[in-house]
Amino acid sequence: NNNWLNAYYDPVAGIYTFPSCIALADLNSDGDNKLVIADLGSGLYKMTLKVFQGTSVVQENALLDLPTGIVSVYMDNMEPRTPGIVVASGSCLFVYKNMRPYYKYPLPLLPVNEAEKSLWNAVRNGDVVADALTAALSSLKDEIYASALTSQTLRFLQLESRDEAEAFIESHKNVGLKRETVVTCLATMKKSVAEEDAISCLVAGTEHKEIQIIDSEAFTQLKSYNLPSIPVFINVSGLYDVDFRLFVACRDGKIYALKKDSTEYRVCIELGSQVVGMERIHKHMVVATMDKAVSCYTTKGKKLWSLELPANIVCTGIMDQKAKGFKALMVGLDNNEIRIYKDKNLVDTLTLNDRPQAICYGRYGREDSTLVSVTSSGALNVHILKRTAEYSEQSGNQGQLNPQKTKLNIPKKTQLFVDQTVREREHGTEMFQSFQHDLQLIRLQAAKTYIHGLNSSITPISDDPDIPLKLNATVQGIGPVFQMMVTVENTASSTASDPKLVSDLKMMFKFSDKVYTATPRIFSLPPLVPGIPYRFPIRIECIATDQPAQDTVTAVVFTRSKPKPIVTANISMPVSEGVVVV
Amino acid sequence: MGIMNKLFGWLKGKKKEANVLCVGLDNSGKTTIINYLKPNDAQQVDIVPTVGFNVEKVTMTNLSFTVFDMSGQGRYRVLWSHYYKETQGVIFVVDSADKLRMAVAKDELDQLLKHQTIMNKRIPILFFANMDVQNSLSAVKCSQLLGLENIKEKPWHICASNAKTGEGLSDGMHWLSDQLQTVK
Ligand SMILES: Nc1nc2c(ncn2[C@@H]2O[C@H](COP(=O)(O)OP(=O)(O)O)[C@@H](O)[C@H]2O)c(=O)[nH]1
Ligand SMILES: [Mg+2]
Repeated sequence: NNNWLNAYYDPVAGIYTFPSCIALADLNSDGDNKLVIADLGSGLYKMTLKVFQGTSVVQENALLDLPTGIVSVYMDNMEPRTPGIVVASGSCLFVYKNMRPYYKYPLPLLPVNEAEKSLWNAVRNGDVVADALTAALSSLKDEIYASALTSQTLRFLQLESRDEAEAFIESHKNVGLKRETVVTCLATMKKSVAEEDAISCLVAGTEHKEIQIIDSEAFTQLKSYNLPSIPVFINVSGLYDVDFRLFVACRDGKIYALKKDSTEYRVCIELGSQVVGMERIHKHMVVATMDKAVSCYTTKGKKLWSLELPANIVCTGIMDQKAKGFKALMVGLDNNEIRIYKDKNLVDTLTLNDRPQAICYGRYGREDSTLVSVTSSGALNVHILKRTAEYSEQSGNQGQLNPQKTKLNIPKKTQLFVDQTVREREHGTEMFQSFQHDLQLIRLQAAKTYIHGLNSSITPISDDPDIPLKLNATVQGIGPVFQMMVTVENTASSTASDPKLVSDLKMMFKFSDKVYTATPRIFSLPPLVPGIPYRFPIRIECIATDQPAQDTVTAVVFTRSKPKPIVTANISMPVSEGVVVV
Repeated sequence: MGIMNKLFGWLKGKKKEANVLCVGLDNSGKTTIINYLKPNDAQQVDIVPTVGFNVEKVTMTNLSFTVFDMSGQGRYRVLWSHYYKETQGVIFVVDSADKLRMAVAKDELDQLLKHQTIMNKRIPILFFANMDVQNSLSAVKCSQLLGLENIKEKPWHICASNAKTGEGLSDGMHWLSDQLQTVK
């Protein structure tokens, strides 16, 4: 690509993050913008807030809980103008100034369910034992939503043995019940002036279907809204003190509009699929969805245009060249591309080595037109737009194609061709019949094999309409230790309102105990969202000592409620090398 | 100052005037370098970073420096060729601590060398790998990243410098004045 300079590429940066967790900000107010990334670590531990200057990490702060969003925000009027970084993590907003922890704002607690409260009270008084508590709480959970219970109750219900439950009760019975929420998304809104470095307030969406506007100077809640679903993306326009409009994309596949002087919401856009990214370009909303579509809507919810992209959309971003008045949509695709769309015209494509997981465009260091991207393998890329690059509406390859004027090069008629034509004309019926006969036989054979496979569940594809699954596996390594990547995909076609999750599945491996060991040998699958391949790495070790060892490993997916496996895959393992003795 | 006296001495005899262009990305230290080279009494103390298109001209007895930033996207680029025409030498300053923008500096250099008025002139190019600070790149590394080995038809020289202390500047300026004499 000749519009972008490859300024930096670190294939082993090992970053795991999302577009909402990347920000570019002038943290030291020296004109040298830093890159801030909330790294999710392994997804369970080692979550850190990293600050990059140029090509190196200059600061790291550990995070206690998974980050869901970061924003840079000016919180005071002090000179020099230094923005703070706010990290949404768990039920709190963590504020960093000059990259030092500065303030922690816990979101207001939610009321605890009365029945739940009295149950725990009874436990404290010794009136209820562990088993009874488990029973009572789980029936309560079935009655009301799980999210209406406290995390203490939910954790308690996950305990498997009675000893654990008793120990849990012992250690928790004197702790007050707290019902906390979780921040799902975070945005900022300028308070009273629109200047670049003006004070902003924070807009947070929560797991309890709420939008809260929080003052960043005093850390008090200014306003809150209730929505019918859980917010995932927030788009803000306007000023808090003057007038503003919020567009909130929720997990029900709808975008709601909120206004300053009303606490009511309005359904603005109903999408046929889940939102992957939502950006505002000038007066319009541009929404990327899971069905590979990018659509543009007016703020009234009227659809202006829609584009179908060649691959799944992973993330979106905005390319805003203020000096040129150029604003375009960037989309990161599953096929490793980052595409730039000006309105509905494709103006540029940048191909990475891997799938872009998060992208962010803005000023980094001293360069205004920098594109930072993190790929799914954890690589960090920095591209800088060439100073001579020009994007015009015409530079794209979209739009009307010119009518073809070139003449086709048709070969001359040969004798052979004429003979064939005559033969086909005379014996057309017989030729067609014999072809159809053979075709039917092939189909029959295929159907028989398929039926046999389905009947014995030995296929890697399931026919069960409730649990349509696809399973495949690849084996890496030369042995004796192999890595097997098992991919499971839910092939149901979903709609936004009915996501058709498949849950409660387990996977197990069958093989000769004399030849292999596998870790894990059996494990539970997470709920499977349709259309997304889930990959699980399995460690297989060949323990047979007599060479050469080679056997088949069978992967089985099953559910507790059915006696028959849902899908089965036979994986023939490669010949294992012997242990290298050094 | 010592360096400049020597340079003036050589050029004085020749009674010729030399125009030298001092370019590089913004914030690379051009203004600081030129200020250091100025005679003592004229030296400026505060240096304001050059933003947008802002030309600095420093004229000494028979040597004049034209300094501008190679920043911005397109808008003022057309003006540059005007300065390219009347130059007898180029000082290209790179911030050796800004690893991220090395690719940008290289891109600007390539475009300068490709520019038709520069391409056909056999003028000397002096590179300053400026900002000799803790983790800055060495002059050798800079010349690698800038692809200097590909410059075949022009004399060039690179030296590490620190414009704040003046380190490395006289080395480079000696080379440049030698070149200016032989070219003429
Ligand atoms: N540490 C260090 N700082 C320098 C050096 N050269 C320039 N600077 C500083 O870098 C900043 C930009 O320099 P300036 O001459 O304005 O860059 P210009 O935009 O290329 O004219 C100023 O704050 C200088 O003081 C150097 O060699 N070392
Ligand atoms: Mg300057």
